Amino acid sequence: MTRWFAALPVLALAAAPAVADPSAKLTPEQTHFFETKIRPVLAERCYSCHGEKKQSAGLRLDTAVGVQKGADDGAVVVPGDPAKSRLVKSVKREGDFAMPPKQGLPAEQVADLTEWVRMGAPFPADMTGPKTGADPTKHWAFQPVRVPDPPATKQPAAHPIDRFVLAKLEAKGMTLSAPADKRTLIRRAYYDLIGLPPTAEEVEVFEKDGAPDAFEKVIDRLLASPHYGERWGRYWLDVARYADTKGYVFQEDRNFAFAYTYRDYVIRSFNEDKPFDRFLVEQLAADRLPLGDDKSPLAAMGYLTLGRRFLNNSHDIIDDRIDVVTRGMMGLTVACARCHDHKYDPIPAKDYYSLYGVFASSVEPKELPLIGEAKHTPETEAYEKELAKKKADYDAERTRRYTAALAKLRTPDSIGDYLRAVLDARGKNPEQMQGFVRDRDLSQVVFGRWRPYLTDQLKAGNPVFTPLAALHTIPEAEFATKATAAIDSLPKDKTHPAVKAALAAAKPKTLREAANAVGKAIVDGKGDPALGAVFAAGGPLDIPAVDGDKLFNRLDRDQLNAIKKKIDAFQAMNPNAPPRAHVLNDGGVQEPVVFLRGNPGNRGPAVPRQMVAVAAPAGRQPFKSGSGRLELAQAIASPANPLTARVYVNRVWVGHFGHGLVRTPSDFGVRSDPPTHPELLDWLAHQFVTNGWSVKRLHKLVMTSATYRQGSAAPDAVFRADPENKLLGHQNRRRLDFEAMRDTVLVAAGKLDRTVGGRAVDLFKAPFTVRRSVYGMIDRSNLPGTFRVFDVASPDQHSPQRFLTTVPQQALFLMNSPFVQEQAKALAARPEMASAGNPDLRVIALYRLALGRTPTATELALGREFVADSSAGRWEQYAQVLLLSNEFAFAD
Amino acid sequence: MTPFSRRDFLARTGMGFGLTALAPLLADDARAVDAVNPLAPRQPHFPAKAKRVIHIFANGGPSQVDTFDPKPALQKYAGQPLPTTNLRTERRTGAAFPSPFTFRPRGQSGIQVSDLFAETARHIDDICVIRSMHADVPNHEPSFLLMNTGEARLIRPSVGSWVTYGLGTENQNLPGYITMCPGGMPLLESQNWQCGFLPGVFQGTYIDSRHTEVDRLIEHIRNRSTSASDQRRQLDLLGRLNSMHQEARPNDPNLEARIRSFELAYRMQTEAADAFDTTREPRQVLDAYGPGEQARSLLLARRLVERGVRFVQVSHGPVQPWDSHDDLEINHRRLAGQVDRGIAALISDLKRLGLFESTLIIWGGEFGRTPVVELPTPGSNAGKVNGRDHNHWGFTVWMAGGGVKGGTVVGATDEFGFRAVENPVHVHDLHATVLHLLGFDHERFTFRYAGRDFRLTDVHGRVVREALA
Repeated sequence: MTRWFAALPVLALAAAPAVADPSAKLTPEQTHFFETKIRPVLAERCYSCHGEKKQSAGLRLDTAVGVQKGADDGAVVVPGDPAKSRLVKSVKREGDFAMPPKQGLPAEQVADLTEWVRMGAPFPADMTGPKTGADPTKHWAFQPVRVPDPPATKQPAAHPIDRFVLAKLEAKGMTLSAPADKRTLIRRAYYDLIGLPPTAEEVEVFEKDGAPDAFEKVIDRLLASPHYGERWGRYWLDVARYADTKGYVFQEDRNFAFAYTYRDYVIRSFNEDKPFDRFLVEQLAADRLPLGDDKSPLAAMGYLTLGRRFLNNSHDIIDDRIDVVTRGMMGLTVACARCHDHKYDPIPAKDYYSLYGVFASSVEPKELPLIGEAKHTPETEAYEKELAKKKADYDAERTRRYTAALAKLRTPDSIGDYLRAVLDARGKNPEQMQGFVRDRDLSQVVFGRWRPYLTDQLKAGNPVFTPLAALHTIPEAEFATKATAAIDSLPKDKTHPAVKAALAAAKPKTLREAANAVGKAIVDGKGDPALGAVFAAGGPLDIPAVDGDKLFNRLDRDQLNAIKKKIDAFQAMNPNAPPRAHVLNDGGVQEPVVFLRGNPGNRGPAVPRQMVAVAAPAGRQPFKSGSGRLELAQAIASPANPLTARVYVNRVWVGHFGHGLVRTPSDFGVRSDPPTHPELLDWLAHQFVTNGWSVKRLHKLVMTSATYRQGSAAPDAVFRADPENKLLGHQNRRRLDFEAMRDTVLVAAGKLDRTVGGRAVDLFKAPFTVRRSVYGMIDRSNLPGTFRVFDVASPDQHSPQRFLTTVPQQALFLMNSPFVQEQAKALAARPEMASAGNPDLRVIALYRLALGRTPTATELALGREFVADSSAGRWEQYAQVLLLSNEFAFAD
Repeated sequence: MTPFSRRDFLARTGMGFGLTALAPLLADDARAVDAVNPLAPRQPHFPAKAKRVIHIFANGGPSQVDTFDPKPALQKYAGQPLPTTNLRTERRTGAAFPSPFTFRPRGQSGIQVSDLFAETARHIDDICVIRSMHADVPNHEPSFLLMNTGEARLIRPSVGSWVTYGLGTENQNLPGYITMCPGGMPLLESQNWQCGFLPGVFQGTYIDSRHTEVDRLIEHIRNRSTSASDQRRQLDLLGRLNSMHQEARPNDPNLEARIRSFELAYRMQTEAADAFDTTREPRQVLDAYGPGEQARSLLLARRLVERGVRFVQVSHGPVQPWDSHDDLEINHRRLAGQVDRGIAALISDLKRLGLFESTLIIWGGEFGRTPVVELPTPGSNAGKVNGRDHNHWGFTVWMAGGGVKGGTVVGATDEFGFRAVENPVHVHDLHATVLHLLGFDHERFTFRYAGRDFRLTDVHGRVVREALA
């Protein structure tokens, strides 16, 4: 333990963040103070007038130079002397200019700014102004992929991958480890490609196959297996933050009714070896592709749509989509640029909002498109009939509520209320008006119709409304006494006779009564075009049924939502619901502006919808077609994109070695660790693209290398020389992830259901499903505890790579869960066990079924001893021990 | 086990995402998370009194003007509009609604607390009442998330996740972060104790503390078909097999860690059963906490922190029980009645056990309530005009225990208790203060994810010095 402690500072140093710019002369404390206390204030309160776009009075506060230079009429900051600094005076509202003009800064911020000036107004030079440090646009990952030649090596090596790896090893006086034995190799290949173990027989066949292409044949067979797509599709689902539910969405149904169609699309695409560029394009813009008759690729767009709903906040939903696209496909952390320019990478906030505009211009249709052929069976017909009935019931209920709501708005009193409200609201600002409408329990939408209408009518001197405006001028306290006279003296030419009559008859004591009388005149005189105009086309009470939602009060909405929830749940749960795709479509084009500090209320400069600069070819052009999603997709899935191919080959490398050539698979930015083998990464990316973006060929390329096939043991010398195995002097032993572990348990029990595709199933509810784990229901709102415990990718956000933790809760699941116990029991009862003639043969059978091999003499003896007392359940307990073993849980 | 240097150890376990993600816990500090056992106890940035936290979450929003923030001025306007404009809250509000409960000065400090928390108030000289809390919006969902994770909508780790990430936990045989809510989950469910981008092991373990049997509390804690002695036999054989397997595979701490985890799990079975068995408490202790699920949850909280659990949250009940839009007097009396004795007993108990000084207790909701009545709105309330709407402009949270200055009032709301006006304390400030009390500089306590160094307090937060002893 003491040795660990002694080594700590070294580790801490290694982990220190690459702090900004070497040329900045600020102390860390100053930088910290500036970045936490000063820049946020300047950015939020000053930049809109004294920033990049606008320099009121010639003053610019977002650069060191600007602060130094001051305004047109001289310096605003005298470093070290707050009393002489006009900036300080202004924020104290003491000088000639009280700043910011509308609302002063809180005292604390004023104190911070004062302190900052006292410190000498230190301003980091790296973030703005002329760049003196390393230019982040020159970062390796943003350069075009090169085509390096595999280097020469001392030891002969035929495979290019081995030459790249060996060259580095040899430079350190090391070499590759000896090849893994065949049993280890085939087991590794099985887990790597299909996530399932080979049977003992399959291992033996391979061991006996002396042909030079024996391993290649195994690879080909596994790549052709439908289980390959389940394994690699699941990896992609981590990237896609896939879940079957939306998370918390108030009273709505939480299910994505057809999420599984995306999951199955991903599995199918890997199985078909769909070119990866096409795979990416479909996920972003299948709706914009000429698909022909087969609409199934529409399901691809679940990549975008199956994220969390963030309390239905559209900005956050778009942020999630930007993140899953940029980190998932390009290893770019664009979402960092939501509130300000990226601190490290050359990603300005403008680029974030360029993408924002693309997604803001895309909508989810109310009716999701059908994919695949509709089946016509009695079950599906019954389903359709039931669904249609439910929808009709909903429509009828909605119409009923709409009619009732409209009828209420058309009563004299309601008309009176709105007339009065518009008159009372004159001269109020929008915010006051909103509060005022709310306090009177009126509808903002209806008020919003009445106000412009009535304003226009009064301007035009409409005799239906002007009388009430005249009465409105009477002070409230005097209304009762003065109203009658005022009504009598209403000018005839400006007063509609029916209105006059109604007012006279009502003898109003209050303005309210007067307004209601006008309302009554309108309702009673509907036939008169002048009176009936409010109901006629374009009038404030001509509210079409499609706008009915806007009339509903909370009670209406809650009750309609409750019905809708049932319909959605019915669709989500009914196995006869024909498959649909969770697509996006282009909606009205929204030209984006930058939201300063990420605040939608704080609108900055307009930006075009276009590709992020750092991954765009020279001469970047704004997107032209619709939302621009297809163009975005094409720019990502382009051989010219410096990131896309590199990022994916690195992900494949992770799947074969446990970690990537770049160890932050979703962040290739300036602060990521450089690749351990940059030339190899580029070579692989180039191969990948020139091989038509074939993922299967990429697997085979990697797996046929000696680097892949070497043993995983780390002898002391190798371990000391390269403890993190960055040079790949041996393979890495890998623990099975949850899916592979659970699936292998089912294989051992002889119960795995190998059906491919279909609706999600609950993995943890008895009777336990025996389907593969990839088909397990992923409920984002309450992710099963076992998923969490085993580091299954969180569906909350894009997952770069799974964590690997070891906690006792994992052991508890294996020791105590009814699922594992059930499988142990099944394993002990398999026919191979039953037919074994004696305990020794049964131990052997058990080893072959659970671990794919024959036990050693010691193991056989231990087994014999364990079951010797013939107590009930011994064999099951013994079987369970093998399922718990490290050998079972790791692939060498 | 082969002697590794810690560097080697961490390096080797960086296979998945362990090293890269967990090592840079604090770049400027000689600390790092042990990736093999991420829950191993760790030291914070600087020495601190508070070692563990009990968060009593009054979900739904208790009214400050009926509990810890007396506003006699409301009496003057009873049934009348306030002379000031009602601040905008979720729903329409009307006239001043004086508290139906009596406030009295308590303890040496004379801090006024209403009779709703008369028992708790016996400890007032050990409590710091922050009367100037404020949040961002008057809606439950974003406010729950803000209070529990520091962010209103996006996915961020909860306070308890940050704390266990920062400090690990002292008892490896129990989860490090436990959240209890009897009868079902609070609004937003597991999002309240989510670990966000932190490893799953830092997520809160949810316990429906209505149950009393341990296997209904912790998943897979008990084996229904294998006896303890048979299981011991299994694990002994497992140990033999695993060590043979390990001999041929040197220099791999992941193998060792997994071997260890089975022994930990075995011990966890008895330890957890013991921790959750309140029947082992003496009669007078059970009586002190009082009857009911709330009281039992608070007693469990004490049993858990006593055993080294780092962070315990006790929510009041399913969804948002404190949300008294109607019948405030009846509902608040009932709700406070369910916890008041328990809270008082918890504090007494911690003092008796010598744990009070090292345990930080936090009480409060996600926001407070309006000092004016809520007006009837169909579908929103029962229209009784005797409740209060949500109020994020000003509310009360109190803290007690480790490092907290007892007998103190921090900040104030306006004359009527609507808005925090004096020394306002935002939820971010509360979080900064909680971290400070645990020994962390909230601005340096970060986790790198997706290109950013994330903090519980994002870019906000100031430590409320007035609350510190």
